[in-house]
Formats: sequence, structure tokens, C-alpha cells
Amino acid sequence: MKTTTKSLLFFLFFVPILMFGQTTLTGTVTEQSTSIPLPGVNVVIKNTTTGTATDFDGNYRIEVNNGDILVFSYVGYQTIEITYSGQASLNVQLNEDAAQLNEIVIIGYGTTTKKDATGSVEAITSEDFTKGNIVTPENLLSGRVAGVSVTTSGAPGSGSQIKIRGGSSINASNDPLIIIDGLPIDNNGVNGSRGVLASINPNDIDSFSVLKDASATAIYGSRASNGVIIIVTKKGKSTFSATYDAQYSFGELTDRVDVFTGNAYRQLVASQPINGTTLDESLLGTANTNWQDEIFRNTVSTQHNLSMQGSLFKVLPARFSFGVTNQEGAVLTSEFERRNLSLALNPSFFDDHLKINLNANLSFEDNRFGDSGQIGAALRYDPTQPVYDPSSPFGGFYQHIVSGNLANGTTNPVAELLQRNNTGDSNRSYGNLNFDYKFHFLPDLRAVLNIGFDETEAKIIDFTSLSSRIQNLDKVNSSRGFQKRTNKLLDGYLTYNKTFDNMRTEFTVGYSYQEFTNEGSNTGNVRDALSLPSTFADPDVVLIGFFGRANLTFLDKYLLTLTYRRDGTSRFSKDNQWGDFPAAALAWNLSDEDFLKESKTISSLKLRAGYGITGQQAFFGANDIYLNRYRGGDSNSQYQFDNIVIQSLIASEINPDLKWEETATMEFGIDYGLFDQRVSGSLNFFQKNSTDLLFTASVADGTNFSNSIIQNIGELQIQGVEFSLNADVVKKDDFTVDFNFNATFLDREIKELALGQDVRTGGISGGTGNNIQLLREGFSPNSFSVFKQLYDNSGNPIEGAFVDLNGDNVINDDDRYLKENPGADVILGFQSNINYKNLDLSFNLRANLGNYVYNNVNSSRAQYELLQDNAVLGNVPTSVLETGFQRTSDVIISDIYVEDASFLKMDNITLGYTFSNISKHLKSLRLWGGVQNVFTITNYSGLDPEVFNGIDNIIYPRSRTILAGANFKF
Amino acid sequence: MKTRFKIYKTIGLIGLFIVALTSCTDDLNITPNDDQTTLSEDLFKDEAAYKQVLAGVYANLALTGTDGAGNSNLKNIDAGTSQFGRVLLYVQTLSADQMIWSYENDPGTREIQRNLWTAQNPLLLGMFSRAHLSIALANNFLRETTPEKLDARSVSTAVRNEMPAYRAEARLMRAMAYYYMMDIFGKANFADETTPINSQPDVYERPELFSFIESELLAIDADLVDAKQNEYGRADKAVAYMILAKMYLNAQVYINADRYADCLSYCEKIIGSGYTLANNYLHNFMADNNTNSAVNEIIFPIISDGFTTQNYGPTTVMINGSVGSLEVNGSEVGVSAGGWGGALRVRKQFVELFDGSFNTDTRNTIISEGRPVDIDDISDKDSGYIIQKYSNATSTGGFGVDQTFVDTDFPLFRLADVYLMYAEAHLRGGGGSLTTALDYVNALRTRANNPNTVAANDLTLDFILDERARELHWEAHRRQDLIRYNKFTGGNYNWAWKGNGSNGISLPAHFKVYPIPTASMAANPNLTQNEGY
Repeated sequence: MKTTTKSLLFFLFFVPILMFGQTTLTGTVTEQSTSIPLPGVNVVIKNTTTGTATDFDGNYRIEVNNGDILVFSYVGYQTIEITYSGQASLNVQLNEDAAQLNEIVIIGYGTTTKKDATGSVEAITSEDFTKGNIVTPENLLSGRVAGVSVTTSGAPGSGSQIKIRGGSSINASNDPLIIIDGLPIDNNGVNGSRGVLASINPNDIDSFSVLKDASATAIYGSRASNGVIIIVTKKGKSTFSATYDAQYSFGELTDRVDVFTGNAYRQLVASQPINGTTLDESLLGTANTNWQDEIFRNTVSTQHNLSMQGSLFKVLPARFSFGVTNQEGAVLTSEFERRNLSLALNPSFFDDHLKINLNANLSFEDNRFGDSGQIGAALRYDPTQPVYDPSSPFGGFYQHIVSGNLANGTTNPVAELLQRNNTGDSNRSYGNLNFDYKFHFLPDLRAVLNIGFDETEAKIIDFTSLSSRIQNLDKVNSSRGFQKRTNKLLDGYLTYNKTFDNMRTEFTVGYSYQEFTNEGSNTGNVRDALSLPSTFADPDVVLIGFFGRANLTFLDKYLLTLTYRRDGTSRFSKDNQWGDFPAAALAWNLSDEDFLKESKTISSLKLRAGYGITGQQAFFGANDIYLNRYRGGDSNSQYQFDNIVIQSLIASEINPDLKWEETATMEFGIDYGLFDQRVSGSLNFFQKNSTDLLFTASVADGTNFSNSIIQNIGELQIQGVEFSLNADVVKKDDFTVDFNFNATFLDREIKELALGQDVRTGGISGGTGNNIQLLREGFSPNSFSVFKQLYDNSGNPIEGAFVDLNGDNVINDDDRYLKENPGADVILGFQSNINYKNLDLSFNLRANLGNYVYNNVNSSRAQYELLQDNAVLGNVPTSVLETGFQRTSDVIISDIYVEDASFLKMDNITLGYTFSNISKHLKSLRLWGGVQNVFTITNYSGLDPEVFNGIDNIIYPRSRTILAGANFKF
Repeated sequence: MKTRFKIYKTIGLIGLFIVALTSCTDDLNITPNDDQTTLSEDLFKDEAAYKQVLAGVYANLALTGTDGAGNSNLKNIDAGTSQFGRVLLYVQTLSADQMIWSYENDPGTREIQRNLWTAQNPLLLGMFSRAHLSIALANNFLRETTPEKLDARSVSTAVRNEMPAYRAEARLMRAMAYYYMMDIFGKANFADETTPINSQPDVYERPELFSFIESELLAIDADLVDAKQNEYGRADKAVAYMILAKMYLNAQVYINADRYADCLSYCEKIIGSGYTLANNYLHNFMADNNTNSAVNEIIFPIISDGFTTQNYGPTTVMINGSVGSLEVNGSEVGVSAGGWGGALRVRKQFVELFDGSFNTDTRNTIISEGRPVDIDDISDKDSGYIIQKYSNATSTGGFGVDQTFVDTDFPLFRLADVYLMYAEAHLRGGGGSLTTALDYVNALRTRANNPNTVAANDLTLDFILDERARELHWEAHRRQDLIRYNKFTGGNYNWAWKGNGSNGISLPAHFKVYPIPTASMAANPNLTQNEGY
């Protein structure tokens, strides 16, 4: 308080007087090695509060007296002190500080440095991004960060499953919180878009911060349990530069599921392999069609990005970018196209006391969805039939016809794809406006106000040609849909920085308000009089938070961070709305101690310990389940009294007691740097215990309006070790080799389940409502629940014969046991960049070990009985020859289908050459080429071991892609 | 001075900022946005809601949820399969000697039709939970229509006049759910309108359930609308009588008591209420059975409509399912030609009931050409006979509006059943007259175009059981009948695939009731597992 008063007095009375006796000093601050002007450098007169900061051209202006000591400081650079001795101007060069230690790391509501970070935070800047065919932003992180797994499907522009440290929940969300320039985004996408990140141009991203442990994430309280990814987009700069990137890629599927060829199929059918059933050989055709070849295609994709940075009217730093991405899908007709416009304005006012950052983005995503279900049809469709048949009434496509109509059974997959046009156009506008004000009378105090906005509107058109059917034409679908999601944010915080003798302090307090809406409509099938339009509107989700953080650094060695957040959510009733989420972390920069200070080997060593509680409220289901609600039936769900329709109102399930799921995270970490930081990395041990799991569990029948509702029961424990190693193996002027290696060991165990009962999960194809996975106390989530297969003396499986595990002489559900689980025990990542003169080479490798997959393709398709497909014939995978299985229902739950799917993948390798200083205007040109999805090494028998949730039920296949690109810098 | 002003302004702005921000916490109290969802406090502002909420109680028998046939308010069972009549058909008919489901990879079906069930079976969970949801919905209606609440909402006299009947119907639906629980599981969670939400209620065993249901049905008699006088789709006195008659007929099983005389007298009450047999046996199972001559026979239907009341209920399943894999005869019954590819067939023992003089009997809808009668392999859809009892065609030659979701209502209770119950109760010593019993049985034969009427010495209990199968097969009665005749468990009578033997093997006695679903038991510690499981 004393200091504040003093400052005020100083400001109010003495400054105007003193001004007369002062000299105005000007100058430019540049970066020593590159001579690039440094904006935002603090220039302060030592032991006073008088100071300024450099503008965007590195220029500063300050009133000084002779003998004043000027302090130039900038995060990431060594601080310089110069005594003023009457110079007219003073140009200063700043030297980069020892390696990455002072690298700025973005954290929640603020920044810190690598050295000062007390939590498990990993910053990934553009140089570190994963390279290759990057269409959506999360792939920039793929395999790059210990503890972060990114699984992307093969569909064009598709979303990814991102998990940080294996998530934290069972039934509720396991998605990390993603924050773009301070705006937390909604993890739920809209129909018509490929995913929430699909509309974001990776080229606009400047850096990521991945917050992993509770001490780092707790400032985001209720949404932090699954970790936080903070995305910072590129900003405007005062110097002009422009880049243009072009990329072309050519994709090809390298593998197919082996099914019988036309000839082999004719032989197979003739051999009549189904016991007790005679296949009608007259149904066989004469063609040899590989249906997978017919529905898959080689793809051509392009990406173009143009960006410009510079100062508008010499005062307004700005960045503008325009990107066009066009990606063809491997499945016929599927396509992803995106256009992005992005504008960043970053002016500052009042001698940099007020900085304004505006990010405005428009994204236009146009999709055509090729029904990936047709991949299954291609495996199944009779290979002896042709694709086209000129005499066919079905628009020239061959179809099985029985008694004058389309036969029951699988239909021609090529026709299904080409005769259906399912498009989704999603327009998204998002951005934020950020005011960062450093108080004039108290520069130690900053106020930040952030207003964010995100709105996506999507239109879906699903039109199937009438020529696809010859009867019941009114059931041929033609519908249109609309969906709109909005997300509005207002948050603000105050940060107070003050250094006392040996103690640096920073205090932050703030408030956040966010509201999400979701609504939409669908026309129903406009051809069908029985299909009526419908609308939906989710209850709004409102999240309100109050937060605070204190950072105390003593002697630059001992660090303490305390965080607290109080969060309210509209998802719970008034009594349970608010949750408190505290965290604390300690760190010790051991290498600054005298006994290590002089060490040539150890250049940095920090020990960290943290503990915190974070929350979770993002469960799937009604956001208003605590309210006493009734729901009226839709147009097909009415009742009739006296044959007259009456709207039936049915009370909805209710749980007024629902509250926060909480995750307590404990972490011990070591950050190390060796040989002047040429080798660095971290080793983290963590344990997460999620309690009061938001879990759908039984309620006593008759006491609620469902038999099972979401409740707070259960406990999940995740233990893990993360290790990362970054090494500059060679660091010479014209030759550098560096690599990053990261490893994550994860162990997930269900400690407690609702009412101690097992929960079936993991729906599979083959049968209506079949499940293959189980949640059980003491086991990993989603372990496979299967029968133990019996084998004959020669080691062949005996169809339908299983071990009677409970010995009651009956094989029933009680004999299923748990075999393995889909989670990887170990996840490894390796990236390397090699630069020699103008040549650059980079590649990455990724491995998962100990992950198991249920091969649903074989389990539901590789049985002889499926040669009969309703009234027609159908193909089956050739793996049926290995088992000789007859009936799906006899074997579908067999443990024979649970396979080790450990893999090693090379996702990408690229080679580039840079031509520099080509002309006055063109500063450099880099030409590069690469391969995406280079190879996969695995013992898994299916197409691709990397599937979602451990169930391989025909994934959208991932193409191998050849890439070529050019990168122009102006 | 200017600076000072600036500071005040700044401080003022910060203050304003903080006040503005923190005053928004009321926004956490949201209300639903969807036009299908209404808060209870707003709902009853419209008096029409009372009848609509009552319709919701009834709808629980027909619908699985509010958002289409693939939507369910129950979990851990396939949504469409969780329909009341569907699971009832599975536990009462599929488990016995009349029906085979070809797709055994549909969870639970294999265990039900081969009598291998465990407490894990999702279909049993569906049965237990769906019936208890009826109880919960009825209790909710009763809570919302107490005189105090009606007073507080100043409900009009017109609606109040309807209220005794509405409330009696809700209690009737609740009693009916308890009746099925008593029959199928032998126990139930006992929840009435005073039971708190999400509590762990007491459990009633068969004796307590029997007396509760009986007393409830007697108590509401005065308030229920007279038989045949209520709107079609709503229950009347006859429905209550029907449940009573069935309880009394099976009282030996439930409470080890002889109540055949009570059964007979309630059968008489129903018969005396003006019901008549439909002109044509098959009218009861057609798309227009809500308007054709069957309306005089059907005592209580589960509504189905291809447009407004879509469900994967028993009629949709049986009509699509009994389309033959070889015959591809769906268009005859108003569904797609292939139907569901031969999902349903009949077992040999059922076929044998029609051996001999049943060629003209309209109850015999068996299609056998090109098919072996034996089903050696359940997944072989070409073996075993099929039937064509239910249909989405109308009595006037038209078809239902949709080719999957049929218009055919499921006749849960109908007069023919009462006739046969009368005859059986008589034979079991419940009084009445043999002539009347014979008349009733022969009336069914005559109606079915079967000239072979029966004489007094033909009318035995075993004959009744067989005749019940011929008349009432696939109507969700069979398991109950076989248990009453002590032919379900044990080895007295073995049918194809009973006990998982293709020729049938004996079942242990504890299979007379189903196991309490594990999930239901876990949620209510007062529930204990039935003996033997």
C-alpha cells in the first residue's frame, strides 16, 4: 500500500515539475544476432517506477536525467543496465538469454518462463511443430508432447481424439479444454462440420501450450481435469513480411481388407461351405469386381496459404492471412474444403500502456460426406457382380433384384455413394478482442479484459437420387438440416507484479463468464408425408468462474504457486452449482544453488511438486437433468386416445443431486538441462484420482423416470510417468541435428464403480446392441469382456466352444472374462530435424505398446453363414479360411478377436531445400517434398492398429500421401 | 487535476466492471430451450396437460421414448427392444415353445429362447425397468393431481370432473405393472406416490403384491369408466377385471391359493360387459384392429401407428419378423418384401398343435412349403415353419401407412382369452357351467371357421392348454400358461431348444421366475436374488 501511495504522489505532483529538468532520450532496441527490432522491451530508470516500452519498431523515448541507470529488460533476453551520460540517442542490442530457460510460456491468464514454471507445462512453438500433411491444428502436436496422444481418422479434415495423460473420466468427457487466444472453445461440433478444430487453419497458429498437471490447469477449475491446450495465433508485427505456402498431396490406400475375389468366390459358393444351408449358385454372376477398389480412389489435395504482416498506416501492426485447403477423401465422393480468413490487429496506445489485440477469423468449411458405412458394404457385396449394368432400372448401376424389387441385403456401394449427395457447409466466425492495460499511476498493475465470440452455423443437405430405388420412392431421403452453436466469453483479470528484495511476486485475480448455446432444425424427408420437420434447442450452458493466483519467487530459486478457482455451472442445481478448485506447486531451481552453479554438465535442474483439484462438469446428456421436466413426444412418438392423436407428456429422468466430478492430481517432476542446455527435458511422475465420477448408473427401478441416470459415483485412478528428451546432437553453423524423444507410461484403473456393479460398454456391429467391453473395479476401463476360446489338438479354434470358467456346466454370460484393454501401456514419440546448409530433413516416429484391439471386422463378418446375405449372396473376409467358422452368433464374443495392436508408425518424413536472398522482394523460397503415413509395423491382423476406443469396425482408412510444397517468403 | 479525474474514472470503471461481472451469476439458473421440453411448474398452467401426462403413462406401454422408435428412456438395453410389449413377448412367448428368433447375436435373445438366462440378460432388465417406469410415471401423475395441487392451480371444474377417472386409470396402469412383475420376477420394488425420487424402496414379494394389486383394483372400480365406454386406448373397468381374473387363475402359482371361483366370476363380469368376438379371428391382428370388428373383442390394446406411434413393439417385430426368408412375402402383410429376412419362425411343438383337422381353421396361418419342420440350427432361417398371424394389412384390403412401423395394435387382453379362462376356471373347480364353457370354446372354433366343435368329454385341462396355444399364440401368454400347468420347468414337457437341447431338456424349477436383473439389484439393496440364480 505504501508503495502505491508513493507512486501516486510521485505521479500526481512531482512528475510535472521534474519534467522541466529532464532530457528526452530516444533510441532503438534490437536483437543482437539478427538486428531485428524488438518491440515491447521494458525501459525503466532503475529504482524508480518511471519507464516505458519500445514500440513495434523497437523505438523508445524516455525522459532521463544524467546519471540515471536505464534498465532494458525483455523476457527471454539478458537484461542490460546502462548509465545515462547525456547521449542524444542510445541504441541497445539485447542478447538472447541462455537457451530456452527464459522462453515465454503461455499459461492460463498470463505467462511465465520455462525457468519459473512450477507446473507441468509444455510449450510448442512453430519450429517444433510436427510437419507433413497438417490439415487440422491438433496434428501439429501429434507425437510431439509426452502425455498427449492425438488419434486422427483417415477421413478428410476429420476431427481427432486428443487425450492428455489418458483423460480423467469414464463416462464424462475426456477431451482437453482447448483455448484459442483466451477463448475456451466448445468441444462439441456441429453436424456438417468435420470437427471443432477442422475449421481452424493450422497455418495461423503461432504456438501451443499444453498444461498437464493440476497446478498448471487449476486456474481453469471446472474444465481442467483433462488438461488444457492453449493455442496462440500469429499476431501482427510492425515490419512487413509476407509468406505464401503451397502444398500438393497425392494419396493412395496401400492396403485392403482381404475378401474373396470373384473367381475364388464362385469356387467358395460352389463348395457349399454352410452347414445345413444350400447357397443358390444361380445367383452368382460372371464378373470379377473388387468392390474396395471401386469405392476407394487415389486422392489429390491442395493447400494454399497467404499471409501478410505489417503496420497499417505505420501505426497499426496487423496480420492478415488467407488459406484454402481442399482435401479429397479416399472414399468416393468424400471431400473437405476450407477457406480461412484471418485478421489480427495489435495496436498499442498511451506509450504501450494499453495494448489491444483483435483476432477475427472467418472459416468456410464445405464438406461432402461419403458414407463410410459403404466400406462395409464393399467388403460384403457380391464380387461376381458388375458395378454397372446398362439395363438396370437403378440409374445404370447393378443391383440385386428379387421379385421385381431391390433385394433385401447389401446394396451396390458404388451406387450408394454416387447416388447420394450429403453435404455440410459450416460457416464459423470466431475471435476475440483483448485489452491489456498497464495502469498509468501504477505500472505494476495490469488489467486485462477479453471478449470472445465463436459462432458456427451449418447447413446440411442430404439428397439421394430417386433412381436409387424403384419402389417406395417416398422413402428415398431428401432432407435439409441446420445447426447453430454459439459461444460467448467475457473475462477479465488484474495482475500485480512486484519485486521486493529477494522476492518476486505476482498476483492475479479475475472473473470469467461463458455461455454456450446450441440449436437446430431438420426438415425430415421432404418426399415422405410421414416425415415431419423437427427442431431442437439444447439448454444453454453457462459457466462462471472467479479465480486467483499467487506466484512467489524467492532468491530466483524457490518458487511457489498458489491457485484457486471457484466455478459455477448451469449444469447443476442451485445447491451444487459451485465448486472450489485449489492447487499449489513448489519448485526449486537446484542448478542455481552454489554447489551446482559452476557445473559444466548440469546447466539447469529444477525439482517440482504440485497438487491440485480440478473439476469436470461436461457429461454427455441433458444439461438440465436437475430440473423437473416433461418431454412431449415428437411427431412419431405420440399416443392415441379414441384414434385421435394426443401429445403424450412423459416425465424426464431427474437428478437434482448431481455435482462436480473432481480430479486430484499429484505430480513430481524434474526439468533438466545438460551441456549448456544442448540436452534438456523433463521427467514427471503423476497420479490422478477422479472421484465422484459423473457416471451413468442404475437407480432403483420405479423411483425415477429411467432405470439409469447420471450420478456421482465411482473413482478412477491414472498413474503415469512421462519422460522427454530434447537434444541438439550437432550444432554447427551449417549443420544441425536435433531430436525430441518422449515416452509416456500410463496405467488406468477403475477403483470404484457405481454400486460395485460391472457396466457393459463398447457397442460392436453384429447383432443389435452387442457390447464387447466392460467396466469393472480393479481393471482398466473398457477391458474386453469375452469368452475363452477352446482349441482342438491341432490348435484350431472350435466353433462356439468356450471354457466354462465358472464351472456350472452352462456357457452363458457368467463365463465371460476380461482380456486386456484398448489403452496403450506405453506411448512413444520421436522427431528429428536435420539441417545441412540449405537442406532440411525431418521425420517422426510414433509407437503405442500394449494396446489391444477387438477385430470387429473379422468377428462380425468372417463366418460362412454370411455368404447368404438375406435373399442374395454376400462376400466375407478370407480370414474365414483360417477359422472355418460358420455362425457369427457362435463366435462373436470369442477372445480370438482380441488382438495385440502395438505399432510403430512413421507418420511423416520431409526433405526441403531453401534458396535464400533470391531477389530484393523474395527473401527466400523453400521447396520440399515428403511422405505422410510412411509405414506401420504391427502384428495386428486388421487394416490399421490405430483405431478409436479399441474396436476395429472398419475405420476410414488412412492413405499414404506423397507431399510436395513450396514456401515463399517476401 | 485532470489526472486525478482520470484516476477516479479508472477506479470507477474497474468498480463498475467488477459489479457488472459478478451480477451475472443468476444466469446459472437456466430453463429448457427445446419446445418439446417443459418445466413441471409451467406445464400445468395449461389444463390440457393433465390428460397429456396421463397419455404419457399409457404411452410407456407403446413408446420407448419421446424421440422416435430408436430412442429410449431406459438404458443398458437396445432402445427399440426396450418396448414394453416387445420384452413381454420375449419373456412370455420366446422363452417357451412357440417362437424362435433367428438373430441370436441380438443380445439376450439366445439366452431367453434357449432358457439359459442369467441376471445379466438385457431383455430381462428391459422388462423389469420398463414395467417399473410405468409405476414411476403413474405415481408421478398421482402426485401431480392431488386435491391440494389442483386447488393451488385453481383447476377448472370440467377437468376436476375427469380427475377421478384419470387417477383411477393411473392406478390401474400401476397395478398392471405390478401384476406383470409378480408373474415374471415374483417381486418388485414397491413405490407409490409417496416414495421419494431416487430412494431405495421396499420390496414386495408375491403375497404382498397380490394383495396390493387386488385391493387397488377393487378400490378403483367405482372411479373407472364402465367397460367399453372409455376412449379407445384408455383402460376401463374390464381391464381391471381382466387383471383380477388372471391373478385369480394363477393364484395357485402366486400365493398357493385356490381362487378359481373369483376368476370365473370376473370372467363373467367381463363377458357380461358387452364384448363380442370379432367377425374374423384375423381382424384382431390387422392394421385396422382399432376400427374393424376387433374393437368389440379387444379389451386393452398396446397402440401402434405407422405414423404417430412408431415403435419396435411386438406387432412391428412379429409382422416384419415373420416374413419368410424363402417366401419373401412381406408385401402380403404390408411391409417390405423381405421383411427382416426370416427373423421369426415357430417351433415344431407349436406346429403339431394344428395337426389333423385344422386345415380350415383361420388360426392356423402356418406356411410350411419347402421347409423342414425341425430347426436344427437356429440361425438357418430356411428351416422351421413360419406363420402369418399378424399383418399390417387392413380388413378392407388396404395397408398400413408405413412399411416398417405397422399400424397394428397389440391385443394385450381380448375376449377370446376370457372365454378360455372361463372354461379353465370351470374345469379347475371355479363353478360356472360346463355348457357355458363349451359354448365359449366352440364359439372360438366357429369363429375360426373350424367345423370341429368340441364335446363335453373333450373339454379337459390339457385341451384348454392346447386350445389356448392355438387361439392365443404369440400374444405373450404362453410361459404363464405352461407354468400354471407345471409344464414349463421340469421334464414333463420338452420342446425344441428348451434348456438348450435341440429336442429339449428339463429345466430346473427356479426357472419359473426370472432372475432379478443385476443392475436393478445393485441399485436397490432391498432386492434379493431369486432362489436358484
